[in-house]
Amino acid sequence: MRAVGSSLPRFDAHAKVTGQALYSGDFNLPNQCYMKILFGERSPARITHLRLSAAVASPGVLAVLTADDVPLNEYGLILPDQEVLCGRVGGVVRSVIDQVLLVIAETEAQAAAALDLIDIGYEDLPGVYSIDEALAANAPLVHPERGESNVLLSYKIRHGDIEVGFAQADVIVEHSYTTHPQEHAYLQPEAGVGWVRPDGKVEVIVGGQWMHEDRDQIARALNLPPERIVVRYPAIGGAFGGREDISVQIVLALAAWKLQRPVKVQWTRSESIRGHHKRHASVASAKWAATQDGRLVAAQIDVSTDAGAYAYTSPKVLGNLILATLGPYDIPNAHVDARSVYTNNVPGGAFRGFGSPQGHWIAEMQMNHLAAALGMDPVELRMRNLWREGSELATGSKLPAGVTVRETLTACAKAAGWQKLAAGWQKSALDQPAQIAASPLHGAYSLDVGHSHKARGIGIATSYKNVGFSLGFVDECWATVELHGGADIEQVVLHHAGADVGQGAHTIMRQIAAEMLQVPLDKIELIASDTEQTDNSGSTSASRMTFMAGNAIKGAAQMALQLWDAEEDRPVVARYRYVPRPTTPYDPETGAADPNISYGYCSQAAEVEVDIDTGHITVLRLWSANDVGKAINPTMVTGQIEGAVAQSVGWTLLEDFKQERGRVLTDKLSTYLIPTVLDVPRQVHSIVLEIPDPQGPLGARGMAEMPFVPTAPAIAAAVYAATGIWFDDLPLTPERVALKLAQKNRAVS
Amino acid sequence: MKPPPFAYHAPTTLDEALQLMAEHGYGAKVLAGGQSLIATMNFRLAAPAVLIDLNKIPELSIIQPTAEGGALVGAMTRHVQVEQSELIARTAPLLHATMPHIAHPQIRNRGTFGGSIAHADPAAELPAFLRAVRGQVLAQSRRGQRWIDADDFFIGLFSTALEPDEIVTAVRLPAMPARSGWSMQELSRRHGDFALVAVEALLTLDADGACDDVRLAFCGVGEGPVLATAAAAVLQGQRPTAEVIEAAAAIAASDDVDPHSDVHATSAYRRHLVDVLAKRALTAACARAAGEEV
Repeated sequence: MRAVGSSLPRFDAHAKVTGQALYSGDFNLPNQCYMKILFGERSPARITHLRLSAAVASPGVLAVLTADDVPLNEYGLILPDQEVLCGRVGGVVRSVIDQVLLVIAETEAQAAAALDLIDIGYEDLPGVYSIDEALAANAPLVHPERGESNVLLSYKIRHGDIEVGFAQADVIVEHSYTTHPQEHAYLQPEAGVGWVRPDGKVEVIVGGQWMHEDRDQIARALNLPPERIVVRYPAIGGAFGGREDISVQIVLALAAWKLQRPVKVQWTRSESIRGHHKRHASVASAKWAATQDGRLVAAQIDVSTDAGAYAYTSPKVLGNLILATLGPYDIPNAHVDARSVYTNNVPGGAFRGFGSPQGHWIAEMQMNHLAAALGMDPVELRMRNLWREGSELATGSKLPAGVTVRETLTACAKAAGWQKLAAGWQKSALDQPAQIAASPLHGAYSLDVGHSHKARGIGIATSYKNVGFSLGFVDECWATVELHGGADIEQVVLHHAGADVGQGAHTIMRQIAAEMLQVPLDKIELIASDTEQTDNSGSTSASRMTFMAGNAIKGAAQMALQLWDAEEDRPVVARYRYVPRPTTPYDPETGAADPNISYGYCSQAAEVEVDIDTGHITVLRLWSANDVGKAINPTMVTGQIEGAVAQSVGWTLLEDFKQERGRVLTDKLSTYLIPTVLDVPRQVHSIVLEIPDPQGPLGARGMAEMPFVPTAPAIAAAVYAATGIWFDDLPLTPERVALKLAQKNRAVS
Repeated sequence: MKPPPFAYHAPTTLDEALQLMAEHGYGAKVLAGGQSLIATMNFRLAAPAVLIDLNKIPELSIIQPTAEGGALVGAMTRHVQVEQSELIARTAPLLHATMPHIAHPQIRNRGTFGGSIAHADPAAELPAFLRAVRGQVLAQSRRGQRWIDADDFFIGLFSTALEPDEIVTAVRLPAMPARSGWSMQELSRRHGDFALVAVEALLTLDADGACDDVRLAFCGVGEGPVLATAAAAVLQGQRPTAEVIEAAAAIAASDDVDPHSDVHATSAYRRHLVDVLAKRALTAACARAAGEEV
């Protein structure tokens, strides 16, 4: 059996299922003590007094650490606009995500008890809690030290001549859109242990997405050289972008360094939900124009995202989002303004799709509206405008070879009942399988008489998402391959720092190594645990790990095989750095850029059932056609598609992260609802295309984010097909849907 | 979190349990399936000094037919036993239809019928069901026993007519009246969660096909299971035409309920659901009462 292309079991499956796999919260070190974090309670507010004596005197308390204890009290993945600890008189809490101070005690209960004894006073400051409030004239500034407005940064794209474009229009559609924040809700809340090793290095055992970046951020805040810090990733219980930024990493290192004792922290679910960033909320307006024959001639978009109180990855997310607002279409004249705005809400940041879902919500809803306005089939309209091989982005650069968005839309449309006739693409009636008509499991949901209140519809959407870091970032990925043995290779040791956050990256890395070296999988030992034994591999994000690690491992394996043949010495060691083709940043005035290394494409169709009285929407079937280039492990590819769909259906219909003046109202999994297995589509049809990416290892493309991206507009189109009503604001909660349906009924009667 | 310290007793007979209740009274809580109590203790929302665990008293876990053609359900009967009971399916079809809506299979495996009744969560289905069917609760103590009508048993938010030393030991379900029909309707944002609104309906048609005894009980819209008396008055003596049902449902929404707003739904939307679900429940129940297939 070949290693690549086979659905081999995950190497860690047995350990995880039997509970033997250790996550960061499972580690306990001798003589360890416990830390609790005081979070900001008011947003925004200035700390007027801070008295620690009662907490310090509380039983078991070893230390209370405040802003004064942090050597360099600032950090941030993109820009250092956040304090590690803001606890000092005169310090400012800008969001409930802020960590004010740390209490370390012999036991967790003692630390928690002492936390309640902290005597802290706040003076409320004027805040801004929405994009509109933040952009209003004379709005209070979230970061007065960062300039005269709350705009964190803005981008623009100027392509063609927008006025000429609109002058050619037969049809213009103009709509406003909003999207809401989303919580990652990974299985494992943040946890970890920090300690000072006998060799004097500070080691942090934690879950994250980029161990070398975590290391560098810790080193900077502690004012220590990076070599003094070791970050170790054990098993990680999900990430989805939510572990890209710092949560407990710096404070664990700080506490261990100050106390010279092992320190453990374990966040509760509530601490996790308020303690890390969310998918960005966004507001947008869009005006698109087409000719009568369905040719796009102009697109004008204005979009803003809620960065919350700190930058996190907002600048990078905005860079992706602005491009995604134009969809995968040839639009000769485009004019986009995008900005990310500071508010006193929980920060926005990385989350599967990284701005692409919000961008496509605009682009694909505009295409849905255009198809309706033109009376044209939505597949046909898209096919007339989709990118082709050799198409240019609105930023003026040619798309990397391997543009397969049409192939995904073709496969998806055919599966969901479309046909290509002489006159173009057309929807035909679709069979209703028996299990859809009456599923006993789901039938209990709503017991209405004869299903007479139900309306069904099918909608479709398409999308793309970049693979790898963008806009001039010099991306790199290291791998080291050691070959041991004599005449034959007896053992392979692979060093790689890429985080397996639960998606199976470490299994993929083994498969690629086995394939490249032509050795059985069980001869490969992977060392991917810490920054000491590996070189920088970059982040597990941007759907980049298979692409980047695969290319790095391929390069290292080829180099190692050459050494193996050329040299007598054993073992041979090959250290390889993969650097993808360079990208360039947006021109500040025109947006001209070659923004991304590579892209992945995905089209989806959704069949929904709408209860027209209650407004409740059920997704019956979802078709997801994805070009993955090469499915290294087909079962894991399908798992990624199904997982993304569960998450995107949750975002579209169910999940509703709520804040009130910066305070989180949904900080439990009983108030923040994520789908159960009974709430995801009854059938998810994964259609896996394997059209090689010329740059990808063995042809593989990044694919893990893409099946999130088109779901929401596909569902909204299906709801329109069922009810005749467009919903341009997410999420489609039953309350919101019922209200609009009732308005329509009243208008009709 | 973990619960605060408590004393724990696991009596093996009902007498022993009642003795312990007499001794500990106010400070004691009865542990049945633990699906609500343990969670509230772990969240430190409840801190009983004494837990009296009824799980070792086998005679409290029964489902029996009554002489009147109804059913007697022991308080410690697990939800799953009620759900799968052939006797319940035959004598109490409304209950049979309700059971799959209660949480998830894992919770139904452990949670108890009497526990849900005694807990009196205003969002739970069983208290509303019990009011709809005019069930009775058997309360026992060292002082004796008494049957309490469902209408008298639920007195407010998580509160019942039980005295501190009393335990719910059984629930009596009357037989389905002749020419009666039933329906259960609910909307939950997610499978297994408490409903935003649920309705339990049981009604009887007289010989002329006019509504006689209409029982429409809601959960999720008040401080306890809410009986829609104004809606019932609209239907009483009327033939259940679509117009009459629509009027009754509208009255239920406007007059009978006072729903709250929370992160899951506004009061206005819950009121809308009362209207929609009442209409559906009444339509289905009338159809069943008239002998139609639903």
